[in-house]
Amino acid sequence: MEATQQLKQKAREVEERLGPQIEEAKKNLNDLNTRIKSFIRERPGMCLLGALAFGFIVGRIASRR
Amino acid sequence: MSEREHSGNGAHGNHRPGLGERVDHIGSSAQEIFTEARDAVADLQRTLDIKGRMERHPYAMLTAAAAVGYVLGGGLLTSLTGRLIRVAVKIAAVPFIKEELVNIAQNTLSGFSARASEPKPSAETSSTSGASGI
Repeated sequence: MEATQQLKQKAREVEERLGPQIEEAKKNLNDLNTRIKSFIRERPGMCLLGALAFGFIVGRIASRR
Repeated sequence: MSEREHSGNGAHGNHRPGLGERVDHIGSSAQEIFTEARDAVADLQRTLDIKGRMERHPYAMLTAAAAVGYVLGGGLLTSLTGRLIRVAVKIAAVPFIKEELVNIAQNTLSGFSARASEPKPSAETSSTSGASGI
């Protein structure tokens, strides 16, 4: 029982310590995702062509090996 | 035979279309073709709705474009494709594995808590059961 309590206590401590950092990271990732999506929506043609070119280059490199 | 038919070979007809008339005819034909092509392109754009799709699923569209480029670049029949497919299958399996692990963990924890809440058998009962058991 004591071991379980200790384990719970440890988990709570870890959660308290890492919680804000995880939240911060989540917020940053969400922000980045929003920015990338808005960039793609502003320039759909360019992004599509870029992706196509990227895939083409990767395919070329893969076929040469 | 009409005059128009005669004008085809130019030998019997009185009316021969002049250069200006021919140019006009070619111009109007070209205009028609251009209009039809423009309509066809507009129809295709409406059908594919690339802008709308980019609005709704930007990452999926970029991935699809990259995949098309990869195939056009000749990467389809390479070892990298096999590796990519294997990785994709593994990534697709992650949610199922996660769910299974969570289920196993929940079952284990509930088993632990059930065992912890059971009253411990006293020394007397354990000794009698041990004697009669074997």
